[in-house]
Amino acid sequence: MKNDSTFKLFSLSIVWVWLLFFSLVPYGLVIIASLLSHSENNLIQLPFTIKNYIDVNNIIYLRILEKSFYLAGLCTLICLVLGYPFAYIIARMKSSFKGLLILLIIIPFWTSSLIRTYSMIAILKSKGIINSFLMGIGLIHTPLPLIFNNTAVLIGLVYNLLPFMVLPLLTNIERLDNRLIDAARDLGANRLTTFRKIILPLTMPGIIAGCILVFLPAMTIFYIPDLLGGAKSVLAGNLIQNQFLISQNWPFGSAISIVLALLLAMLLLIYWKSTRGKKERDLL
Amino acid sequence: MKIIFSLILFFLASLSFAEENSVNVYAWPGVIPNSVIQQFEKETGIKVNFSTFDSNETLYAKLRATKNAGYDVIEPSSYYIDRMRRQNMLEKLDKNKLSYFKNLNPEFLNQSYDPHNEYSTPFIWGVTGIFINKNYPHSAAIKKWSDLWNKNYTDQLMLLNDAREVFSIALKTLGYSANDANSDHIKKAYLKLKELNPNIKLFNSDAVISILIDDDANLGMAWNGDAFKAKQEKAQIEFVYPEDGFVIWVDNFAITKNAPHRENAYKFLNFILRADVAQKIALDNLYPTANRAAQNLLPEKIKNDPLVYPSHAILKRGEFQTDIPDSALAVYEKYWEELKMSE
Repeated sequence: MKNDSTFKLFSLSIVWVWLLFFSLVPYGLVIIASLLSHSENNLIQLPFTIKNYIDVNNIIYLRILEKSFYLAGLCTLICLVLGYPFAYIIARMKSSFKGLLILLIIIPFWTSSLIRTYSMIAILKSKGIINSFLMGIGLIHTPLPLIFNNTAVLIGLVYNLLPFMVLPLLTNIERLDNRLIDAARDLGANRLTTFRKIILPLTMPGIIAGCILVFLPAMTIFYIPDLLGGAKSVLAGNLIQNQFLISQNWPFGSAISIVLALLLAMLLLIYWKSTRGKKERDLL
Repeated sequence: MKIIFSLILFFLASLSFAEENSVNVYAWPGVIPNSVIQQFEKETGIKVNFSTFDSNETLYAKLRATKNAGYDVIEPSSYYIDRMRRQNMLEKLDKNKLSYFKNLNPEFLNQSYDPHNEYSTPFIWGVTGIFINKNYPHSAAIKKWSDLWNKNYTDQLMLLNDAREVFSIALKTLGYSANDANSDHIKKAYLKLKELNPNIKLFNSDAVISILIDDDANLGMAWNGDAFKAKQEKAQIEFVYPEDGFVIWVDNFAITKNAPHRENAYKFLNFILRADVAQKIALDNLYPTANRAAQNLLPEKIKNDPLVYPSHAILKRGEFQTDIPDSALAVYEKYWEELKMSE
């Protein structure tokens, strides 16, 4: 028994030390930096000021945030539309293929997402796999403009983030109680009504979890718009990077990071509030 | 605050630099071949810790964030030499220890970013000009930057993903200096670039050669060295030294202030300046070398190709990139963001 509690203490303290040094301290440094000023000779210096936060309230930065939200939202929607039936079919599958199919969703995670994005370039570019194939079979004569536009950015984002939508949905749908669906049928509900009234509300936690897991990274993966979109617009991630590296304005870059983090925290809070005490959770 | 910052970064940076008889070199990727590093290690017995950065800004931020990042030899571009020497971050070079300094091409010495070359030795250089794919139908008439505004080129141009390089096009077109720090002039350049927006297909700085070779862009701005490399694989690539002027960039070697292995750093710098070594390097990275002795040793077809080594008359149209104050950089950055957000 004594061993047990030492082990518990040990593993808990690892978690706490980890959180303290790799999450709390760095974040504290960013918060402090966001309240300081800078000059040509010092990256950060006194006095304390809230000027950086006032500067964020500028039409251009708000437009950058708005565009990031729009792109991330669109990506989330596409992932949901593609991912839901996908997860549903796999979850309801009885065959032995099921394990293999789940493995196939996870395998791409074994390669860095940056490398997978570079491989998308090889697929989409003018002399890439798709265009070479279509031109080879004589279907088109000039290459399709598949890369360096917003479509390419969306393809890249959806490709990279789809598993984050599928996996929470999968676990959610797998735990669906079949008896509830049978009961709905027995009571005369057709397929659409069953889906709308029973399946959809019961899988709502999975939908929301998936949406958040897709939306948050989609806001900040700056290399996908850079590599696939031809760096033609500035997104939240690029904005922060540029403030730190190009403008050498660390305090302002920190302030933008904090604002972004607060916005995303608000989304999490809304999710937390919306699932709290709901009856659907009891049913699961 | 700063101390904690420094400690954390210093701890991470110093892990790899434990060895005693060594030299820590921090340079652009792909500019020094492995064989040259090995040759240096064999000749001197000094171990080289070679690491690379992807932008001057990264190099600068790393050296600023930690007073003693542990690097001995660094390779910033001209405008960062300017900034770093003014901020007392570079060692004043003792020319007596650099016996091969005389090999350097005087054309790249005593420039305003480092008068008398007290802090740096030029290494490779290049011109930012216009590349053209001859197969592209409307390409023949391009002679200067202002030609790029032609309505025929909708959604065709590739520009470098660098605010100052892109603004230099508009500044030159308007007759200003590429190093202009006047915010009115920068604003005018921004308005000019906004008119260019419909023609811009993409911004890219790190995959230029493959974009040229694979027809992903037919027209745009590139460094002459990259155009030369692309031309080796695709003969249709042409390069224009714009008539309305252009930017000349120079990457230079320098020794950091308080370098931990200063003597080894001098040995490394002098080794790189040696004609046979610089020739080996130039043959490998194919960028124009600032080492005249090495240039003379190159094969005829490289040293006589105006794509790599333009004539003195052409070079006179160029302007060396110098540093501008942070306040002006912030103006550039603001309009750069505006430019990318306006569609």
